Amino acid sequence: MRSETIHIIEFRNITKRFGNFTANEDISFGIVKNSIHSIIGENGAGKSTLMKILFGMYASDTGDILIKGIPSRFRSPLEAIANNIGMLHQHFELIEEFTVFENVILGSEPVRRGAIEIQETRRRIIELIDKYNLGIAPDEKICDISISQKQKVEILKLLFRNSEILIFDEPTSVLSPVEVEEFFRIIRKFKEMGKTIILITHKLNEIKELSDRVSVLRKGRLVYEVDAESLDLDLLSREIIGQVETARIPQAREEFEEKEILLSFRDVTLKKDNVEKLRGITFTLSSGEIYGICGVEGNGQSEITEAILGTERCHSGELIINAKGISIVPDDRIGKGMIKEFSIGENVMLRERDSIRFDKKRIRLKARDLIDKYDVRLSDETAALESLSGGNQQKVIFGREAGLDNKLMVLVHPTRGVDINSSAFIYKIIIEERNKNKGILIISSDLEEILKLSDRIGVIYKGKIVSEYIKSEFEFSDDEVKKKFMTRIGKAMIGAAS
Amino acid sequence: MSRKVKANIISITVSLLVTILLTSLLLTVIGRNPIQIYSMLAGEVFGTGYGFGQALFKATPLIICGCGLALCFQASLFNIGAEGQLNVGAFVMSVIAYTFDDYLGLMVMPAAIAGGFAASALWGLIPAYLKIKRGVSEVITTIMMNFIALALVNYLLIEFLAVKSTVRTEKIMEVAFIPKLSEYSSLFQGSSANVTFFFAILLAILMYYVFYRTRFGYEIRSVGLNPVASRYLGVRTNRVILWSFLIGAGLTSFVGINFIFGYKGYYEFGFSNNLGFTSIAVTLLAKNNPIGIIFTALLFGVLDYGGLAVNTAVPKEIMLVFQALVILSILAVDKTVKIYYLKEE
Repeated sequence: MRSETIHIIEFRNITKRFGNFTANEDISFGIVKNSIHSIIGENGAGKSTLMKILFGMYASDTGDILIKGIPSRFRSPLEAIANNIGMLHQHFELIEEFTVFENVILGSEPVRRGAIEIQETRRRIIELIDKYNLGIAPDEKICDISISQKQKVEILKLLFRNSEILIFDEPTSVLSPVEVEEFFRIIRKFKEMGKTIILITHKLNEIKELSDRVSVLRKGRLVYEVDAESLDLDLLSREIIGQVETARIPQAREEFEEKEILLSFRDVTLKKDNVEKLRGITFTLSSGEIYGICGVEGNGQSEITEAILGTERCHSGELIINAKGISIVPDDRIGKGMIKEFSIGENVMLRERDSIRFDKKRIRLKARDLIDKYDVRLSDETAALESLSGGNQQKVIFGREAGLDNKLMVLVHPTRGVDINSSAFIYKIIIEERNKNKGILIISSDLEEILKLSDRIGVIYKGKIVSEYIKSEFEFSDDEVKKKFMTRIGKAMIGAAS
Repeated sequence: MSRKVKANIISITVSLLVTILLTSLLLTVIGRNPIQIYSMLAGEVFGTGYGFGQALFKATPLIICGCGLALCFQASLFNIGAEGQLNVGAFVMSVIAYTFDDYLGLMVMPAAIAGGFAASALWGLIPAYLKIKRGVSEVITTIMMNFIALALVNYLLIEFLAVKSTVRTEKIMEVAFIPKLSEYSSLFQGSSANVTFFFAILLAILMYYVFYRTRFGYEIRSVGLNPVASRYLGVRTNRVILWSFLIGAGLTSFVGINFIFGYKGYYEFGFSNNLGFTSIAVTLLAKNNPIGIIFTALLFGVLDYGGLAVNTAVPKEIMLVFQALVILSILAVDKTVKIYYLKEE
């Protein structure tokens, strides 16, 4: 292989900490000029942080980045752009009411004598569109075009600013299969034109079809690097996941004679902005069991919740919910799970819906009840929920939802951002609720959590459950069995399941 | 008292001081002695029963309309249409009152009030519907509905219902009037202040109870604070928006009670004199808290009558400047107080 290649970018011992959390630890690797380099890893592995450091959005604590051999430390994205680095973010930054042309030149308008050089700039943009076969019309308004076209406008913005190094952050997550093909074509064209591409991805086919080289990040460290040609799939899957603590929670699990199906998805599809987010998903949840859905984020997890809650309508298929009420712990604790300005008791009363009067005494009673039962630590029970720590907030939401005594519970990222002690406590509650013959659906990107809690596991990939495992499969007798299982589930998560 | 309440009181006090200072500056610039003006104002308003009564009379509709607006604002509905809503309601109220007072006698008042409430609520239904079904911003629709309301009432008056060569409706019979305060105490001799003032206070207390002690109030506030979370918590957000808009708009019609039953006995075009807009300031100044509204409305009432009282020495518009400065300084001071006072924790 190319042993004496020039690295256009070289990361040298990059470390970045946020408080106690180490997002990047001593990362060193190089990116070859005019190559497509993929960076893969689970959510929170540190990919985005690393790219943000490169793009000047964060400053690293230690370490250097060499660009064309020169140590560079950008203090803002503007500096990065000036050095021909461009980044395509997951969320677009376009002005809906402006045309494609206006959006592209916005912020770097070529001005002569106080006026924008419309004619010449237009010609240049049309040239770029043709050169890269982008297929967008410069005079269309952003609000009138599709998401994939908006993405192309963002790409055009990068090209207009003469980016030589292009960073793409999970670019295909918003695209339909046909659009993905087209996107691949554009990327290949970039390479042809001599540009260097860094691709942050979760998808195996993107690595196999596009990349020259792959770097795997895990928990902030670079754990594996390989040329795409000599990629070992088993090894890659295992490296992405790493060592996972799989010891299940020792709490006894009751088995129930009579089980009823509480939730059943059959061939459900759900579209958002014309992109199929659920593509014929099928699974069931019975009473007295915990069904865990794991997978890389953005494969349809949030749409499952939305379908269950009825906030999004299913396009086809059959969704049966056999429960009067649904207890929900949403993914975004503060944005969806509570009114942060209200106190514990007020949040509980609001959710319970059984009383018209909200007198102070009852509010206090409700709060005390929950504080005692769920071990919430706080100084003032009438304080607004926003003043509590994340772990205590989550306990409040759990207590409130468990207290509703709905047979069906949907828990999304139940312990995200929660300290260890609170997590352990929440796990205990989850098992307790299961032992009341409730059916519990857990959606989490934390594999360890899923393995600990679930009675059954489904792996979601591209809006489908691609494989299911029952309890006996992940109660490992020895390390060899575990290793095999981890390879299987890892492959399923990145779409490499056979 | 919680820190938040304390912070609010501090910020209101500081802004009042800032306003007094700035107004004094302005008075000095135009060659008046501020202390003399202020003492003249205080003397007129608090030194005479008449002046005090007039201030109460001016504050009454501000409290009522403020309560209606607070209901909308608590749900994060920025209703700018009170001026239109209250005119439609008061107009209908007077028409019912003078048409049926012969048959109903004293019972005409509840009937007229109910009719006025329904008319204002109906006027609020249009922007509420457009917001819920079509996502149209209530700010724009309510502003526009103001013009339509005033034009419609004007048309109906002039074409059909006004007493010849006036812009007012017929007068209701004398027995249906609400007693004036001066009937109970000679202190208020000659002033228009009437029992409606106490009704307004009761309304504010009731609204406070609704906001902070009932499910409906909590749902309104939760929708105002975080509509997404409210939906997750099982609140039917559209229903809450609809009801707060309807009831909020409906309540604004009650200002008609003060003017029609308590003062003139008829609806007169232009009686509101931008009351619907001044109430926005009153409500925002009180941070949508009905008890706070009683005080801010009284402040505006004092300024309103006080402006007239000092008119001989200084243009009464100076009090409009004062009102505007209060709002501006509240906005500026509030953030600062929050940053420095609440952050210390």
